[in-house]
Amino acid sequence: MKLLLQIIDIAKEMGVDYADIRIQKTKIETIYLRNLSLKNTSLKEIYGYGIRVFKNGAWGFSHNNEFTEDAMQKTLKNAIKIAEQSARIQNGNGLKLSYERSYMDTFRTSFKIDPFEIPISEKVDLMMEVNKTLLNYDKIKQAQFFFECRKDEKLFASTIGTMLDITTLYIEPTFTATAIDKGDSQSRTFSLGGHAKGWEWMQKINWNNEAVRIAEEAIMKVQADTLGAETRRDLILDPDHMSLTMHESVGHPTELDRVMGWEADFAGISFATPEKLGNFQYGSKIVNFIADNTLTDGLASSGYDDDGVPVQKWHIIKDGILNEYGSTRDTAPLIDLNASRGCNRATNYYDVPINRIPNLYLQPGRVKLSPQDLIADTKDGIYIEGRGSFSIDQHRVNFQFGGDMFWEIKNGKKVRPLKKVLYKSSNPEFWNSVDAICDDRFFQTFGITNCGKGQPGQRGRMTHGGATARCRKIRVGGSQ
Amino acid sequence: MMMNEKMQKIGKFIRENCAADDFTLHINNSQTSATRFAQNAITHNMGGENTNLYLEVTFGTKTGAVSGNIFDEKSLQQLIKTAESIASLNQPDPEFVASEGAHKLPETTKTSHETISLSSEKMVDNIAKCVENAKHKDANISGISEKEISKNYMLTKNGFEGFDEEAVFSHSMTMKKDGKETKVSKSVNDFNNFSMENQLNQLNLQFDSLDNPVSMEKGRMPVILRPAAVLNWLHYLAWGFNLRSADDGLTPFTGKLGKQVFGEKFNLYSRQNQAKISAPSFFSNGLPVRDIDWIKNGVIQTMSSNRFYANKKGILPAQFYNFIVDGENISEKEMMKKVKRGVIVNSLWYIRSTDQKVGEQTGLTRDGVLYFEDGEIVKSVKNFRWNEILHDATKRIIALGESVHQSYYAKIPTMLIDDFNFVDVTTF
Repeated sequence: MKLLLQIIDIAKEMGVDYADIRIQKTKIETIYLRNLSLKNTSLKEIYGYGIRVFKNGAWGFSHNNEFTEDAMQKTLKNAIKIAEQSARIQNGNGLKLSYERSYMDTFRTSFKIDPFEIPISEKVDLMMEVNKTLLNYDKIKQAQFFFECRKDEKLFASTIGTMLDITTLYIEPTFTATAIDKGDSQSRTFSLGGHAKGWEWMQKINWNNEAVRIAEEAIMKVQADTLGAETRRDLILDPDHMSLTMHESVGHPTELDRVMGWEADFAGISFATPEKLGNFQYGSKIVNFIADNTLTDGLASSGYDDDGVPVQKWHIIKDGILNEYGSTRDTAPLIDLNASRGCNRATNYYDVPINRIPNLYLQPGRVKLSPQDLIADTKDGIYIEGRGSFSIDQHRVNFQFGGDMFWEIKNGKKVRPLKKVLYKSSNPEFWNSVDAICDDRFFQTFGITNCGKGQPGQRGRMTHGGATARCRKIRVGGSQ
Repeated sequence: MMMNEKMQKIGKFIRENCAADDFTLHINNSQTSATRFAQNAITHNMGGENTNLYLEVTFGTKTGAVSGNIFDEKSLQQLIKTAESIASLNQPDPEFVASEGAHKLPETTKTSHETISLSSEKMVDNIAKCVENAKHKDANISGISEKEISKNYMLTKNGFEGFDEEAVFSHSMTMKKDGKETKVSKSVNDFNNFSMENQLNQLNLQFDSLDNPVSMEKGRMPVILRPAAVLNWLHYLAWGFNLRSADDGLTPFTGKLGKQVFGEKFNLYSRQNQAKISAPSFFSNGLPVRDIDWIKNGVIQTMSSNRFYANKKGILPAQFYNFIVDGENISEKEMMKKVKRGVIVNSLWYIRSTDQKVGEQTGLTRDGVLYFEDGEIVKSVKNFRWNEILHDATKRIIALGESVHQSYYAKIPTMLIDDFNFVDVTTF
């Protein structure tokens, strides 16, 4: 912390308008197993710091992993030089930063057993057992298991006097069975996404039961019928599936940097422009999307963002109406917001923080309703579990999504499994078609750990969630 | 001490201190400058240097790996110890292959003084020209200008040692005004081969050809895919073009090695000595880079494979390292005359597999779509969603343009393809 404060003092002396330094140590353990062969068993530790300088309405960022006083000062000077270069091309007086007070705080992800303390052999044994269970089925020709855990330890200090000590952690286990039969191959995946939890969470999962279920469903899927021509049907979407749907069609369109055109060259822009705030019917009246970076176990629950802004909870969509965005200190003033919502996050020490999707979930319905009730109430529909093919345009309007497992519903009953199902919809049609959401007994969360954004690209993380919901009359059919 | 010497010093330390039966060491150093701009102003601007080490060690066939970026002797000792500990606790890998020994490596040139010495001031000067151009058109411009100098070092216990160095400058920009939106991008190893004037001319040409787009019926129709669009798609071909996956029955290429699966006009290669196209001197497995024919006259010549599977099949391992597709030098104007009607697509976006076994993918058009009829461009149209099978689509190639340097690692022609499957129309 002494070196941090020294750098901050020097930055002040050098006349910057704002500066922060983030020292970050990242530890990632990765194990990848395919058909009983270990393709990757590795531990990665990277350690360094990034210095951000704001001067004359422009940003400069420089990073290094040499911790000598000299190297750190050179990095600061480089950041200042870069900021001065940036200031040559700006609109009006350049960017502004929203007001923020200073904080001195610590934050730790809550966990009982640190996954890094569990021997590799124990993890590999667990994964091998799952692989063996899957491969016990003749038709399962490929069994894969990917395990990752990550810990980030950050020290942050800024010229407004903020000093933070933050440690976050997550675990992500994913396994897939691929069945081959009758000239086709189909996969089924077990994935809960990443969870900000300790090894105790892994111990609660019944791996054998899940492996048996996944293998049997993969075989069922490869032998299933296809759906045929596209028609309008009702969709019942499980929380895992919806996590990706909301990520793409609500999370990204409501990132304020994207709304303001900052991602126009690559990730794209957004249809959800500021004049729509408070009046645009994004979803039906029962649709409420909550941004919640205070969510227990959420991947974006880090105490503070990389602007030093505390985590918050707010409505992105309230009673179906576009309510607010996810914002940062430099994007909030662009639409005259007084304060940032704390969504500026960098992935590694050498990455500049960018406006990220917060933890975002669909609020469960207020009426008591189960997935079984929903199926019983549906005459002609498709029940979709898990995440599959997904593709959305660069304005975040038109999309086509698949899934991981599909069931046809006829007259209130699941009648047969299906494969190769795709649905097409758009904003705001899709979320306005939601007519039922199960209650909070069925609420589940799923962490996304590979959200690609930015130039150069960064892999961000956040948690989504919801309870099973129904969309009416969506275009759905087989592939092609 | 120069970076190469630093890398060798670390290698020497690993060699002297690693007790494992086998090891492979990779060290990568990169110096980057990246300036992002949007809405006619710079939004992010960054620079720095990273050096990372990846060490894989093996006892018998039990393997463990570590990576890190702190290189004092104590930290290196700790990395070795951790890797050895992971390996000793691990289970044997039935597919383990020992590290490569010494190889004579081909010389490939991927750096230039002009790129290495390019200053951040000059990069910002270039962006200023882009902004000025956009303002002149009453439009907004967004993008990134980036320079990366990277050095790679690899060392194995069995005697392989290799250095590789590359410099890449890339510039990408999207100009937008109301419903008109288009993009150009270019990346080169040698900054002498980059002309901002040419890029802006191309951007203006594309931008001026667009109008506020109108909606058009979906359906199958001829398409002219410009090189950026073709390259977008080829990346996805490369991911699924694996021999083992084919042999396991997972892809459409099962039993298709040596057979006609693509159209006769479709030729795809990777080449180690192609002017202005980057190639490493060695692969990450330590094998020297070699010329690879992937698809010749539509017949599959090679699919990618790792050393284990290649040894099992008695063939050479192969992996994509650049993309070269033959062209025919037919102009876009001539292409438009070869069909009654069709659309010209600048690039493709958000491509995902919809059916791995069939090889079907979905995606959208992006950066401007033009409708043509009777050899003339008629209007700008809204974007489409498409669901297509790439190898089938190449059978419908009617004509190919000149193969051009689309990126520092790709030489690609424009393609006129019949009956492209547009399955939906977007709202913009």
